[in-house]
Amino acid sequence: MRRLAVVLCFAAIAGVAAAGGEVDLALGSLVYSKDSLYHRILVYQSGSVVTLRFGTHGPVLLQSQVDTNDLPRHVQEYSTLAFCGLLYQPQPARALVLGLGGGVIPRELRHYYPQLQIDVAEIDPDIPPVAERFFGFRQDQKLVVHVSDGRMFIKKQQRLNPPPKYDLIVLDAFSGDYIPFHLMTKEFLEEARGILAPGGVVVANVFYDNRLFDAEVKTFTEVFPRCQAFFGVWTANAMIVAGGPNVPVLTAQDAATRAAALQAANGFTFDMRTVAARLRPGFAPEPRARVLTDDQAPVNTLRWQEAAR
Amino acid sequence: MSDDPSRSPAPSGKHLAAATVFIACVAGWFIMQLEVLGARVLAPFFGSAIYVVMGSVIGVFLLSMSGGYILGGWLSGSRHSQSALGLCLAAAGAWLCIMPFLIHPVCEGMWAAGLNEKWGSLVAALVLFGLPTVLLGTVSPTAVRWLTRQASESGRSAGMVLACSTVASFAGCVVTAFYLVLLSVRRTMLVSGVVLLALGGTVVLHAYLSARGRQRRAGSLEAPDAGSA
Repeated sequence: MRRLAVVLCFAAIAGVAAAGGEVDLALGSLVYSKDSLYHRILVYQSGSVVTLRFGTHGPVLLQSQVDTNDLPRHVQEYSTLAFCGLLYQPQPARALVLGLGGGVIPRELRHYYPQLQIDVAEIDPDIPPVAERFFGFRQDQKLVVHVSDGRMFIKKQQRLNPPPKYDLIVLDAFSGDYIPFHLMTKEFLEEARGILAPGGVVVANVFYDNRLFDAEVKTFTEVFPRCQAFFGVWTANAMIVAGGPNVPVLTAQDAATRAAALQAANGFTFDMRTVAARLRPGFAPEPRARVLTDDQAPVNTLRWQEAAR
Repeated sequence: MSDDPSRSPAPSGKHLAAATVFIACVAGWFIMQLEVLGARVLAPFFGSAIYVVMGSVIGVFLLSMSGGYILGGWLSGSRHSQSALGLCLAAAGAWLCIMPFLIHPVCEGMWAAGLNEKWGSLVAALVLFGLPTVLLGTVSPTAVRWLTRQASESGRSAGMVLACSTVASFAGCVVTAFYLVLLSVRRTMLVSGVVLLALGGTVVLHAYLSARGRQRRAGSLEAPDAGSA
């Protein structure tokens, strides 16, 4: 029933957007807007559901959506998908999240893993106050937001003595409209790998309906020996999970078994077994896809080209 | 032939005036192309925050261009202003050819020195883009000088040179930002460097041949005097 509601909601938004109509009607009334240095921040409220959007002329993209009457409920599919990394690293001690948005992913990680030390890097200083005011996000000793470009944060962490080692790195830094190329290149992933603990995984939130997805996957496989992908059903989100040689390669059965154990241990409000079912085990990169490098990464063109597959 | 600095080193004739404006346009194009690519080149090392692009890159370009204007103004008064301009263009081209290899060591050096983001990007931009921008900036004042036959037309020459070179800058800016950034930055720099080297070399060659031509004409005028002595 809930799932149907989410689908109808998306269908309604998509329908209105396709008709060129005013999206605001479907998301509710605009309760906050600010032109920050990086985004036009828009917050809508409809009943108890609060939505974060960045103002853009492209297709309607929701950054974060929460139900303020039921915070633990994942309104969007993609934030549940981000938990797929835990199938590979079920006991993370330290996590890094690039990109805050409404703060759903770090908040939920904090909730289910009280011992987990989480660093969040967010480039826009206007975003954390919005997350705290409208999306039930709270910082504390175990959940710290750093206002910084994601790559710069990683570079600085690399130079600490001793450098921290993260068990989970979640890459969720793009608004979907404009993509900063320097967070997608081979050299960037090598820097991320440098602060990844053995057995740790990088989980990257990507859109799979364009050519950029093929290039991203190819770039990941250049840097990490283990790469798998989980595909969303309700939206075109996918999660690329990548790690070093200590990280297992899961079959559908492995994923289901691990998911059942995690669900029993943590009691997630979403069903971890559904997340596990999103794994596409035989998935391989498109052979002719381009590897993105600091020298050449035409990300914003690839992003608008239809996927080859 | 007397050394009349207001006459000898400048190219003369309509087609050479067009060539002068053309060189000013080429310099204008490459300055903006370098600026747009510069921001892209620094992003992996200093991020894409506002102060990197606006503060460091644009700031360094403005400063370097003013340095180029001073240098160009001074060089334009010299007898050898054509060769000087040619050498400036060629040197800028040579720098662009080697610059891709300097990016990594310079930027990492900033981090190693403890400068990051703001000051690191400023110093890196200065080290990487300062010199070619100064060299390309020498073109405008020299071009104005060459096009001005009389002091009273200097405003018109300046207007013409600046207008044309700024339109070329606009084109360089837009083409780079929309299309060239999709290609390999290293290759774009190399191609640009080779073009500037070729153009600079052509100017130097032209200066040399013109000087030789003048010497020969001066020599043939004197010969009858010597003969009749």
